[in-house]
Amino acid sequence: MIAYKFLRDDATGVFTGFAWPLPGDGPGAWVEARVEQCRSGIHACRTADLPLWAGRRLYEIELDGDIVEAPTKVVASRGRLVRRLDGWDGLRGEYTRMCADRAHDLALGASPPLAQWDAVVEPSIPEGPALLGFVAARIAEEISGLDAYHAERRRQADWLAERLDLHQNPPPGQGAPA
Amino acid sequence: MAESADHITCMEVVELVNDYLERTLPPDEVTVFEQHLNFCDGCDLYVEQLKRTVETVGEIREDDVPAEAKERLLSAFRDWKRS
Repeated sequence: MIAYKFLRDDATGVFTGFAWPLPGDGPGAWVEARVEQCRSGIHACRTADLPLWAGRRLYEIELDGDIVEAPTKVVASRGRLVRRLDGWDGLRGEYTRMCADRAHDLALGASPPLAQWDAVVEPSIPEGPALLGFVAARIAEEISGLDAYHAERRRQADWLAERLDLHQNPPPGQGAPA
Repeated sequence: MAESADHITCMEVVELVNDYLERTLPPDEVTVFEQHLNFCDGCDLYVEQLKRTVETVGEIREDDVPAEAKERLLSAFRDWKRS
């Protein structure tokens, strides 16, 4: 299965600090770990999960072995980084701006306008794409409920998948294509 | 637990951090907890500081604490219990 993984600037795992073997002329070395969601295993994103975990560096990762699909992540017993998606480096700021603009549109288009929510948008920009994605989705939720939060997240994921020309994973729960 | 099953507040991060560090949070709560850390620099720093404190304190044995420091700590705890 092809999926995606965000790492820190030093190519370590965001929550584990694990130093990933990087791709060179070919994919990086395989990494193996017992699958236990949120505790052990190779954690990665389907395209739909990308906005929830947006970070500094983005890699395409090949997953193999036992693969467990959770609502907002996928966990596998084997994985290797295939290539760095350099396009994300240049797109990060653009995505952040898109989310900020969307947050403004949602907040000011509400009836009555959500001025207090709108006010947090610009000061949040330095904190980056993950926060702005959350802010836009959270404003959508405030206006129209949880379905709107998820719809906004899907919109963000589609925006990223299209611009990064990503392999579109099936939506969570619908399994891999035959 | 949270205002939503899909995201938590900074206040909820504070409430859940011990369970997170002790690895007793259920996976779905770990997921929303880490999603919050991923976008909230303040909470990320807070959790990182706690993690380092726990690691550091875990390395200190009672014999490592100088007698004077030990007495000051015990005195502070006695005063705190009285207050």
